[in-house]
Amino acid sequence: MGADDVDDLFEHAPCGYVSAQADCRILRVNSTLAKWLGSAPHELVGRRFPDLLNIAGKIFYETHFAPLLRMQGSFDEVALEMVRSDGTMLPVLVNAVERRDEAGQVRFTRITVFNATDRRRYEQELLHARRSAEQASAELRELNATLEARVAEAVEERMRAEEALRQSQKMEAIGQLTGGVAHDFNNLLTVILGGLDTMIRQMPSLPRSAQTERIERSARMALHAGERAATLTARLLAFARRQPLDPKPLDAGRLITNLADLLQRTLGETISLETVSGGGLWRTQADANELENALVNLAVNAKDAMPAGGRLTIETSNAYLDESYVAQVPEPVPPGQYVLIAVSDTGTGMAPETLAHVFEPFFTTKEVGKGTGLGLSQVYGFVRQSGGHLRIYSEVDEGTTVKIYLPRLMAEVAPPESERARPQPLTHGGLETILVVEDHDDLRAFSTGILRELGYRVLEAANGRSALEVLQAAHDVDLLFTDVVLPEGMDGRRLADEAKRRRPAIKVLFTTGYTRNAIVHNGRLDPGVNLISKPFSFEGLAAKVREVLDAGSEVSVSP
Amino acid sequence: MVFAHGFGCDQNMWRYVAPAFEDEFQTVLFDHVGAGGSDLEAYDPVRYASLDGYADDVVELCRALGVRGGVFVGHSVSAMIGILAAKQAPELFSELVLVGPSPRYIDDGDYVGGFSEAQIHELLDFLDSNHMGWSQAMAPVIMGNADRPELGEELTNSFCRTDPEIAKAFARVTFLSDNRADLAGVSARVLVLQCSEDVIAPRSVGEFVHRSLPRSELVLMAATGHCPNLSAPEETIAAIQSFVRA
Repeated sequence: MGADDVDDLFEHAPCGYVSAQADCRILRVNSTLAKWLGSAPHELVGRRFPDLLNIAGKIFYETHFAPLLRMQGSFDEVALEMVRSDGTMLPVLVNAVERRDEAGQVRFTRITVFNATDRRRYEQELLHARRSAEQASAELRELNATLEARVAEAVEERMRAEEALRQSQKMEAIGQLTGGVAHDFNNLLTVILGGLDTMIRQMPSLPRSAQTERIERSARMALHAGERAATLTARLLAFARRQPLDPKPLDAGRLITNLADLLQRTLGETISLETVSGGGLWRTQADANELENALVNLAVNAKDAMPAGGRLTIETSNAYLDESYVAQVPEPVPPGQYVLIAVSDTGTGMAPETLAHVFEPFFTTKEVGKGTGLGLSQVYGFVRQSGGHLRIYSEVDEGTTVKIYLPRLMAEVAPPESERARPQPLTHGGLETILVVEDHDDLRAFSTGILRELGYRVLEAANGRSALEVLQAAHDVDLLFTDVVLPEGMDGRRLADEAKRRRPAIKVLFTTGYTRNAIVHNGRLDPGVNLISKPFSFEGLAAKVREVLDAGSEVSVSP
Repeated sequence: MVFAHGFGCDQNMWRYVAPAFEDEFQTVLFDHVGAGGSDLEAYDPVRYASLDGYADDVVELCRALGVRGGVFVGHSVSAMIGILAAKQAPELFSELVLVGPSPRYIDDGDYVGGFSEAQIHELLDFLDSNHMGWSQAMAPVIMGNADRPELGEELTNSFCRTDPEIAKAFARVTFLSDNRADLAGVSARVLVLQCSEDVIAPRSVGEFVHRSLPRSELVLMAATGHCPNLSAPEETIAAIQSFVRA
């Protein structure tokens, strides 16, 4: 290879060559680098190599790369920017190596410069791509994270709904069970109370002695206990939504005002009662007695929650339950207008665990013997049976608010509250003929016993079919007294309809322990139907029978 | 005799100088936190946001070693770190050797620091705006390169290891520092070693430092560049020896 060849190779190599002194002063530079920088080679000779770099390169060369070169004898692929004569930047990769003499002194430094314009651009693009990828990945992660959160939320909502369903199914099951037991109890109580009643009525005709007085005292005690049992049974039926209700249009505000005295007596002196009634309160339709019972039950609970005294506030107002609200309550509640009765105490409140069970019958936080565990169950059953909604808010140590929502009465159908003013008929018997239909033998014997004692002519049947046979034979039956629930396919209502078809003048009195049947729609009496609830007393039956027989014209039972 | 490295590299900067003093002195070499073999986890951006954090380290280190009336040899920015440490704990050092010192890199009125404010901001902007690309370009040299083991092997024990992010922060602290007012309060004897053609700390700066210190000697070296401890170790050793023996 000739000198010209070597010279050409040096000058026109595809990279820049620099020879420099130990102090970086340039001894020789090839044409390639000079051309890249827009200078003539001779213009670069004598300058220090770092002076051809931008400011950052200059500083880092002096502080990092020059020491590195001195310590390890070379450096490779350092990314730097050289400044062209026009001030623009030339991205380069720089390699350097020291050449030393035999004494170890640096003879010169050889520097190789590669044009890295394209490479730097690729690097920038790669960096951009990486940043974009990282950003996209971050967004995806976030999306995933929120997706998980969304799924978790949906699952939780589903679990809440299932829990609510389980709770309402449990309540329903407890209701079925309670209702069934209470119904049987009612039949038994009717017989027990009737028996005691008869004993006490027969007492005066016996010669007075210490024994008879003891028997009478015991009988009265038993009667008293039996009546209490009957009250409990009625509450159970209320919870089971199987009590016969007698709903009438009512003004909740006025009902509460009238009840205030009784409530204040229930609460005692250490608890103040405040009633707040919003103006223009809508009317609702409910069984006034049961609403009063409900409020008394709530007052009793509030009193127990405020042993050291406090305040009970009963507020009434108009309320609207919207779609979103009713969607999140466990039991079906139609959206719409309601009358709200809110009963708030300043008592001990309840923890969420307690709150979850408060509607269950026999659940009580009170000491054994202090409570029946049926108070709130009655309230719940009554409200649900009345087409309303019940909500409890409670905070430990803050107090409890029970909100009763009763549906707004949209159209008045019967003269309000006039019936209650009707005077009770006097207790006396009669000579009419009464057909008693009851499948329960003891009960039938009890009823026919009372009616015969009262002077009536009594016929009896154990089921609907036999009753129709009796009616076929006897043309002078004035009153059909029938249980609502009868065996063998014909219930009390169908029997009554058939009897009236054959004997249009016949009067009908129903009796029932509970009703979920033809006579009582959703627990409500059809207007005009005569009904006496079990257990009934001698006095009660006597009065009711007389009342029905004396009523001017029978309102027909319509489906 | 305590040797402190400057901005760039680590205690290897003293590899040709420190051994010459081992007979006469007990020598102490260390890496600033964030450089060389230091624990990078110990780097606290708040503590090291000014040179005081580094000076506190020097004082702590020397007290732990029981240094009293010693010689502090500081290169580049460590010259000023030594000034701050000596002011804080004058009992530590009776002599300071400042190699290529600069109390302020930016020109300021009559003061010629060697860089215009625009240049330093260009440097810092370059590091900021381009830092990803810069870090990656620097990484093979400064950090060793995992992707290129044949290069990385050689550079595993690189003399300039540093974390690019820390190097960037150190550059900011160094080039924005202004310790001119601290010079007057130094009671120790000081040797200022000034290289020829040092673009980082030009001669005018060395002369300013010399003038501002109460007890200072200025030696203008034949060595060029910013690192005479590497490029001219014999001259550096001779200057320090004549100073400490005086």
